[in-house]
Amino acid sequence: MFRSNNIVARIFQRQICTPAPGTSVHCARRFYENLVPSFTIYDVECPDHSFRKFTDDGQYLISFSRNNQDLIVYRPTWLSFSCKEEDCDAHDLPSKARRFESFFTQLYSVSLASCNEQICKDFFLYMDSNQYGIFATTSTVQSQEAPATGGAIPGFPSIEKITFHLLRLEDGVILDEKVFLNDFVNLVHNMGVFLYDDLLAIVSLRYQTVHILQIRDSGNLVDVRAIGAYCHEDDELFLNSNAQCMAFPDKSKLHQLPQNHVQNGLHHSQPNLEEFFLSGIKQRLLSFIFRRIWNEEKDRTLRVQCLKKKFYFHFQDYVDLIIWKVQFLDRHHLLIKFGSVEGVVQGARNADHYPAFFAVYNMETTEIVAFYQNSAEDLYHLFEQYCDHFHSTSRNSLYMNFISSHSNNIHALEQLRSIKNKASSSSQFVKKMLGSLPFSCQSQSPSPYFDQSLFRFDEKLISATDRHRQSTDHPIKFILRRPPYSLKFKIKLGPEAGSADGRTKKFSSFLFHPFLPLALSIQHTFLSSQPSVVNIHFRR
Amino acid sequence: MMISGGIGGTSSSSSSSIALTASGGGTSSWAPTTSVSASGKRIQREMSELNMDPPPDCSAGPKGDNLYHWVATIIGPQGTPYEGGIYFLDITFPSDYPFKPPKVVFKTRIYHCNVDTAGNLIIDILNDSWSPALTITKVLLAIRSIFTNPDPSDKPLIPGIARLYLADREKHDELAAEWTRRFAK
Repeated sequence: MFRSNNIVARIFQRQICTPAPGTSVHCARRFYENLVPSFTIYDVECPDHSFRKFTDDGQYLISFSRNNQDLIVYRPTWLSFSCKEEDCDAHDLPSKARRFESFFTQLYSVSLASCNEQICKDFFLYMDSNQYGIFATTSTVQSQEAPATGGAIPGFPSIEKITFHLLRLEDGVILDEKVFLNDFVNLVHNMGVFLYDDLLAIVSLRYQTVHILQIRDSGNLVDVRAIGAYCHEDDELFLNSNAQCMAFPDKSKLHQLPQNHVQNGLHHSQPNLEEFFLSGIKQRLLSFIFRRIWNEEKDRTLRVQCLKKKFYFHFQDYVDLIIWKVQFLDRHHLLIKFGSVEGVVQGARNADHYPAFFAVYNMETTEIVAFYQNSAEDLYHLFEQYCDHFHSTSRNSLYMNFISSHSNNIHALEQLRSIKNKASSSSQFVKKMLGSLPFSCQSQSPSPYFDQSLFRFDEKLISATDRHRQSTDHPIKFILRRPPYSLKFKIKLGPEAGSADGRTKKFSSFLFHPFLPLALSIQHTFLSSQPSVVNIHFRR
Repeated sequence: MMISGGIGGTSSSSSSSIALTASGGGTSSWAPTTSVSASGKRIQREMSELNMDPPPDCSAGPKGDNLYHWVATIIGPQGTPYEGGIYFLDITFPSDYPFKPPKVVFKTRIYHCNVDTAGNLIIDILNDSWSPALTITKVLLAIRSIFTNPDPSDKPLIPGIARLYLADREKHDELAAEWTRRFAK
């Protein structure tokens, strides 16, 4: 059949042919091959903010003031200008059109942080259905010396105050707040927080608790449960109400000491008895491992041998595991990564060297459903074949389904296979791949220009994953996946390739609009004195 | 001087005198004095005995490579309110084992009149009625038996639970089962 890359021909074809069943969205997306952000306005005159992200519905551009205290929200608008000349396209854009304001309209600016607080630049979550945004501010004073009371891991870093703000992005009204005191939540790239539908999971690393909150339509953050020391939402209440009739010995006084670590009643009276008893989640984990070995081996004497070697010998190691990271798999199931304290404190870079485990936990039944080591081949096979199931997205965002992964895209799969074949050791490779689990929430751009069935690009320089990258002087090429495999557009960071300024290391980040041919590229140094350079890429 | 595991019935006077000499020789340090290695040998022997013939619903083994620090698991026996629970216990052997009893602590919360709020298990045979003739297998069996038959009579650790057990068995079992569901699964 005749296929043309000419857009007019394609529109005619769309008129006369019905796409194969189930492919209409894919066919429509092919028009992005014709509509590309190939025109660039370099170093656009724009307010000196740090631009964070387009929301996944394309309604808002989120930015923070340079002092990290205010939130400034813009609405992306399409450029419009008039031209009196005859052949408009041949002319340069009028200078009035070359401004930031002709692409973005400021909606409002809200102060989120008080004078000794800062907005965490790397953290932002967006709730599609209600157009709510979640932001975090932290106190600037790092309190290393905070006493490790009530089940906190000793020696773990601590932030005096972490506040989560729930905002209605439509008008910038702060709806609710949630405060954690002397706690530590990993906010970088949303790592410690996961949003699924209206459920928010916040991992307190210091207190080893996963707080499950619900965002109500009314704009309230409501505690649903805290998983850690206890599993059911009312376990602590049950224990305390039972304790009254149990005639506590003198320890009852201890029990009341570490109260009010956190406002809104969280961490309320952490059990001092925890040092005696296994925490709720550990009891579940250990009993799961125990039962699995017990049921695997039917012969009584062999079973005891097996338990001795595989369970009791490592018992303390299992007890010492801490929760690293959590994601939702669906409304009931969490994928929890457990690891050693050292691995967390050392940072993610050499996390591969430390043993780590994955558990699937059902919050409703409070059961561990599955448990894997980070070198488990069977978990890797699930990851390879059903990667999209780990990318649990909220139910109402359609184009989030088109984010390329090796499970839905043949090119991405080929790439994964080639890495796999090159890997020197299979177990190292499995560990490395599983290192990306649990996924960070909303860390990938749904832009069609990152759809690997449409375009090919160098993933070292640019990708859907939201990260700072070291700048290169070379233009980043987007090449068609289909014949004629031609170069469709380039993202260049500067007007002249090879600006000889190689002295300071520059970093760049790319913000792509989820569906418009519009992108921002931002180049900055980590010296705050130098303002960043912003380029606007769009289809003229 | 070693007392073999299976044969009991040494008179109390002789066992206490042996205990005295043993504790005199073995100080509290971990130095490999003769008595410590003797207790180590004894524990090792009891371990192989346990491996040969494990009691039902019970298992135990040393934590890491420390022979004196064990973990035991007891599966809540069927027909009791503890059914379906998995109970982990720490067992610490003193350096003058078997002349002193091992210390047993529950790591899993349990609603039981013989286990205090910190998880300490106090039963006769781990206390006054301890005999060096007892072995880890027998200790495990004894612990398992308190699941089926709590002992509310002899100075229970939690009088409240003991009273309820005697007065309203049904209510007691209901509460114990609720504790199992919440804390021991």
